[in-house]
Amino acid sequence: MLYLCIEILTAIKRNNVQMHATTFRNLGNIMPGQWWQSLHRTMLRGVLGKTFRLVGYTIQYGCIAHCAFEYVGGVVMCSGPSMEPTIQNSDVVFAENLSRHFYGIQRGDIVIAKSPSDPKSNICKRVIGLEGDKILTNSPSDFFKSHSYVPTGHVWLEGDNLQNSTDSRYYGPIPYGLIRGRIFFKIWPLSDFGFLRDSPNGHRFSDD
Amino acid sequence: MAQSKGWVRRYFKAFCKGFFVAVPVAVTFLDRVACVARVEGASMQPSLNPGGSQSSDVVLLNHWKVRNFEVQRGDIVSLVSPKNPEQKIIKRVIALEGDIVKTMGHKNRYVKVPRGHIWVEGDHHGHSFDSNSFGPQKETTTIVYFHALCCHILQFSLPQPGWNSQVFN
Repeated sequence: MLYLCIEILTAIKRNNVQMHATTFRNLGNIMPGQWWQSLHRTMLRGVLGKTFRLVGYTIQYGCIAHCAFEYVGGVVMCSGPSMEPTIQNSDVVFAENLSRHFYGIQRGDIVIAKSPSDPKSNICKRVIGLEGDKILTNSPSDFFKSHSYVPTGHVWLEGDNLQNSTDSRYYGPIPYGLIRGRIFFKIWPLSDFGFLRDSPNGHRFSDD
Repeated sequence: MAQSKGWVRRYFKAFCKGFFVAVPVAVTFLDRVACVARVEGASMQPSLNPGGSQSSDVVLLNHWKVRNFEVQRGDIVSLVSPKNPEQKIIKRVIALEGDIVKTMGHKNRYVKVPRGHIWVEGDHHGHSFDSNSFGPQKETTTIVYFHALCCHILQFSLPQPGWNSQVFN
């Protein structure tokens, strides 16, 4: 109501119309009907039109962004020391989601997955074994080697920084459905710009 | 001649404009809000597919309800099968994280559900590939990661009181 009054007063000033109004409630009767209607229409149309257009554009670009991040790829910032030296703390990388949908994730890929203990956070590790692979579950310097097989539909993830990484050696293989995307390109820092290196722990891959 | 060319161009422009508005909005809606799916199999009888192979139930999957990964015991959920990532399975939530489940048919008699996991079972015990039997014999964990893909199904029937496994909180 207050907003309406302010608009009317500024319109009156603009149009140089003198009025003697007793209360704002009688405005419709006192003012000439035609003038009031046109003012009402243009005001409302301008404000409402702008609002609807803004909302429409927001929805449209939001949906396009969702489709792009979900089905194509996006930029991700990684934090944590578990993938050093390949990916340092607060590096910015480019992740693509096409391989996940076409089931093209291979051994040696760095993937982003949903954390098995907390569905709202993501983890970034390297795929060591796919389903059916034989995995060394303890360090190779131990005398008694223990192997385990990766079950169907699961993958075995490990970070490159084996001393400081919570990965499948701790919580076991994770289902393929938790993988969100594959990281293949580093953007920041610029000194390390380019495709990502192979694993420094080559001995972990054993599919004999 | 010029007029017909101009018509084609205008049409093409309008098509692109409509395409880039309609497809992302529709895809986002189906991914984030709700979608429709057909239920196959007998593992949720009699709640879903009571007629067996003659008639498949059609259900509404409500994605919006699980956007914060909050489900209750007794909800029917749809999730990506941990054994086959191309398949989605529909089961009922029996226990949430932290609960202890007295299982039927699983190798451990009592299982505590770890953090971030839930225990699901089909209503039709014995015909259900669920938390009691996930994976091959060598499988070490049979508790499913429900946040692989989880939709809450609008329930058309009341939750069954006689669950297979008992839950201790």
